[in-house]
Amino acid sequence: MLSVVDLSKRYAGASRALFSGLGLAVAAGEIVALIGESGVGKSTLLNCIAGLETADRGSICIGPRATDVVRLDEAARAALRAQHIGFVFQAFHVLPTLSVEQNVAVPLLLSRVPRSEHARRIGTLLERVGLGGFERRWPASLSGGELQRVAIARALVHRPALILADEPTGNLDPRTAGEILDLLLERTRDQGAGALIVTHSQHVAERCDRTLLLTAEGLR
Amino acid sequence: MRRLAWWLIAAQFRTRRTATLLSLLAIALGVALGYAIHLINDAALADFARAMNTVQGDPDVVLAASDSAGSVPLGVLDELARDPAVEVVAAVIDTRVRVDGTATPLRLLGIDAFSAAAVMPRLLPRPADDSPAGGILGGRVYASPALLEQLGLRAGDALTLRRGDRHWPTVVGGELPGTGAGDRLLVADIAWVQAHFGPNGAVSEGRIRLTPETDPARWQADHRPRLPVGLLLRAADDEGRRVANLSRAYRVNLNVLALVALLTGAFLVFATQLTAVAQRSTQFALLGVLGLAPRMRLLQVLLEALAIGLPGALLGLGIGYALALAFTQILGGDLGGGFFSTSSPLLVPRAAPALGFLGLGCAASLGGALYPAWLNRRQPLAQALKTGFAQNPGAHGHRFWRLPLLFALLVPAAFGLTRLPAISGLPLAGYAAIAVVLIVGVAAAPWLTRTVFGLLSRRSLSPPLQVAVQNVAQAPLMAQVAASGLIVSFALTASMVIMVASFRSAVDQWLDHVLPAPLYLRSKGTPLPQALLDAVDRADAPFARVERTAHGSLTLDAQRPALALIVREIDRRDPGTRLPFTGPLFDAAPGEVVIWISEAVEEIYRLRPGERRRLPLLGGDIEVFVGGVWRDYARQFGAVVIAREDYTRLGGDFAPTDLALWPRSGDEAEALRWLAPFTAAQGLEVSTNGELRALSLSIFDRSFAVTHALEAAAMLIGLFGLAVTLAASVWLRARELATLGALGFDRRMLGRAVMLEGLLIAAIGLLIGLACGLAIGAILTQVVNPQAFHWRMPLDVPVLALLAGVALTLAAALLASRHAARQATRLPLAQVLASAQ
Ligand SMILES: Nc1ncnc2c1ncn2[C@@H]1O[C@H](COP(=O)(O)OP(=O)(O)OP(=O)(O)O)[C@@H](O)[C@H]1O
Ligand SMILES: [Mg+2]
Repeated sequence: MLSVVDLSKRYAGASRALFSGLGLAVAAGEIVALIGESGVGKSTLLNCIAGLETADRGSICIGPRATDVVRLDEAARAALRAQHIGFVFQAFHVLPTLSVEQNVAVPLLLSRVPRSEHARRIGTLLERVGLGGFERRWPASLSGGELQRVAIARALVHRPALILADEPTGNLDPRTAGEILDLLLERTRDQGAGALIVTHSQHVAERCDRTLLLTAEGLR
Repeated sequence: MRRLAWWLIAAQFRTRRTATLLSLLAIALGVALGYAIHLINDAALADFARAMNTVQGDPDVVLAASDSAGSVPLGVLDELARDPAVEVVAAVIDTRVRVDGTATPLRLLGIDAFSAAAVMPRLLPRPADDSPAGGILGGRVYASPALLEQLGLRAGDALTLRRGDRHWPTVVGGELPGTGAGDRLLVADIAWVQAHFGPNGAVSEGRIRLTPETDPARWQADHRPRLPVGLLLRAADDEGRRVANLSRAYRVNLNVLALVALLTGAFLVFATQLTAVAQRSTQFALLGVLGLAPRMRLLQVLLEALAIGLPGALLGLGIGYALALAFTQILGGDLGGGFFSTSSPLLVPRAAPALGFLGLGCAASLGGALYPAWLNRRQPLAQALKTGFAQNPGAHGHRFWRLPLLFALLVPAAFGLTRLPAISGLPLAGYAAIAVVLIVGVAAAPWLTRTVFGLLSRRSLSPPLQVAVQNVAQAPLMAQVAASGLIVSFALTASMVIMVASFRSAVDQWLDHVLPAPLYLRSKGTPLPQALLDAVDRADAPFARVERTAHGSLTLDAQRPALALIVREIDRRDPGTRLPFTGPLFDAAPGEVVIWISEAVEEIYRLRPGERRRLPLLGGDIEVFVGGVWRDYARQFGAVVIAREDYTRLGGDFAPTDLALWPRSGDEAEALRWLAPFTAAQGLEVSTNGELRALSLSIFDRSFAVTHALEAAAMLIGLFGLAVTLAASVWLRARELATLGALGFDRRMLGRAVMLEGLLIAAIGLLIGLACGLAIGAILTQVVNPQAFHWRMPLDVPVLALLAGVALTLAAALLASRHAARQATRLPLAQVLASAQ
């Protein structure tokens, strides 16, 4: 699902490379936790994989046809994200001007899933994340936990090959965090997608299939 | 994808209703003004052309005298008629007569029924049933239905036509079915008209139809050199061109004003869309992360602009049509410009111009959204998601060194542009100079804010002031957007006020000079009766002094409107007491013919004071000496004054139409009583110089009324831009303000900081706006007006009015800032701090 080979990244003006010669792989249906000190480059790695930052060297192959993100232009990277990647953030990032239903529909519109399928897919997924009946609600009226459920539904609705999550439970209380994590893991496994989850929580890391530690020297 | 775009547009309209609606209205206003002006002019020109067509018919070439005192000898016409290339020559006498009981003179056309049937069929009458057997037209006059109705006459009624001391008692023979609803015309047989009113052995015009195989241009070129002096040949469509030329500059000026309104609309879209982009930077970044193509981030902003521009432009077309209807009902077809005196014309919208204005409205909206769209496209996704809107994506370090370079190029460019001459009669370079001034002003705003507030922020200030100063100094983009609206709108308003004030005070002084007599008597076109002229000269007449004037016209260029030829009783050696000369006077040799020309004549025909020129005067080619140039605000197409003695010496017949009267012992009442019998009988008009002066100034004020509406609209838009951007910047800095709140600022202090910020920005905007306004005012009075209208005037800055404007705008800016401040005090601080966005 994801294979990163010999990846290097250095920010313009930075004294040294954030990482170089980095390699990792995530198989279909595998959920990998990524931990590491603050500022070591976890978010940057995720952003490189999603094509939001450009890597200096190496290759990042995603999806069933192993498309190399590094070689794509900006528009093609956006198209690749729309097709094969689902994103979950610490800060939820739900569009405040669209209803819950519309928020979840955005990836379907971007990946050109036939219109006739939308209602069914959104309905079942919202049901599964525990938001049945929330279709017409506005994000402003939802709690943090509920917002993150919307975000998870949105990350999964277009059946991406890879889920990228950057501290998905960081803004939630421990009980809600546990619920949300269960949901994310279950639904990802349902769909047979691979996942890379950045976390500071030992508890979260333990529940994943495998844990990678990012340090200044590289991945362990 | 389309669905997503639509959702976002709908969300935008829902959440930013006021800003979106007002941008839409501003676009609508611009389109409405432009379209209304277009419709009114189009209708007025079409109406004028139709009326002209009725009278002139459809000849290939017209032979006429170049001077209103001249005429075309019948011998010349007879000779032309023998030319095998000529099919028909229709002779016409075109004169003005009075009918008892009407104040204004009427147009009387003498035609020959046979030739008129071929060339001017619309002038053919339908005789009443009891018409006399002899001749087709007989000794009767035929009137257009509109005129019959006005006079309350019917076929068979008797009436008397008068011109000067001649009169013709006759009978209404029938009506002219071919004339239009607004035409007021009389037609009679040419021989009868000639017999009663002259000219002897000559006519006013010969309208010539050539054989189909003849090329009219070639034929004209062949015959022009062989014409007797004082006659000219012109193509029939020159007349249409003259009409269009008549109002062209005025039209262009109004259109530029409409364009300014459209520009301010574009600015509003710019402000709205820029803040919309800034507010939604995280949303757009998120959509990018979800896979929205980068191109779509650009397109979405443009689409939203189109969603504002298209309905705005459509609404504008509707409002424009309604405005045009209202204006033509109230002011007539000339928008108070005084060029056409037709009845209120019919408005018929055509598809192409309507589509053009629709496109213009959309283009303005899209133009305003271009930069915000580009900025949105350039936002770095990962960063925008983390920290929000980046004002300067991808830029490293400041590029302020470029600014002085920009100024070093632009300021001389503006100066250079004001030195360029008009391009095909239009002050295009002057308009370009105005645009450059505005660009310099807007570009100077961030530099000035940064410099002034950077310096201020180093002083120790009260905490809210410190925060306000810091904010303005550090967020130059938002400050620039807010300030640029004020700069542009205040500059345009101030310049307009300066121009109108300069012009008005110049007209005021000019009126002092050109209206020296206490009383004026005018006949509006027909000669004054000899009985009156004799009477005012008698010793028992209550006048200390009388000066007579005759008005005629002179054509120097067949494609331009004719010049006014004014024959006056004026002291040849001291014309300065009567005419407001702008330069030195030149003395002519005793035997020479002197003329004094208006500034327009100097500029259009390149006549120079002190030089000798040959002019087609009184049917001859006469050498005249240009004695000086005087200022004339009344006749935009030029006027030439010649002394009575020179005119009569050339063989001219001095038939006065106007009298300037100095009543004896200053007793005007007695003079008015003495004049009453003459004026009542002849439909003459007597006015005091005070009345004439008030009338002129009221016409002046009326013709500039439109500009005041535009000034108000521009200021509202500028202030609204300030309010929108301030409110948006509060929103953008919600977290920062909430943090200040957490650090111990109370809500009142937060509100005060935001309000102060608004006032500081407004002060900068007004300062630059005032400077630009002065520059533009100078360009308008010194470049645009002289080039467009040949009106020159000294710059006269109405300091008090401008200061009042500044105070008013500051007060309004205070209100706009208060609105933003209230938002700041209402921020749910805890919530803002808790949420990541
Ligand atoms: N746009 C940028 N330009 C320059 N340097 C950056 C940029 N973004 C991040 N960095 C630097 O790169 C390093 C890694 O940042 P990153 O956000 O990937 O860390 P992280 O591992 O996700 O930390 P955290 O656990 O705190 O989220 C940091 O030192 C940061 O200062
Ligand atoms: Mg991080």
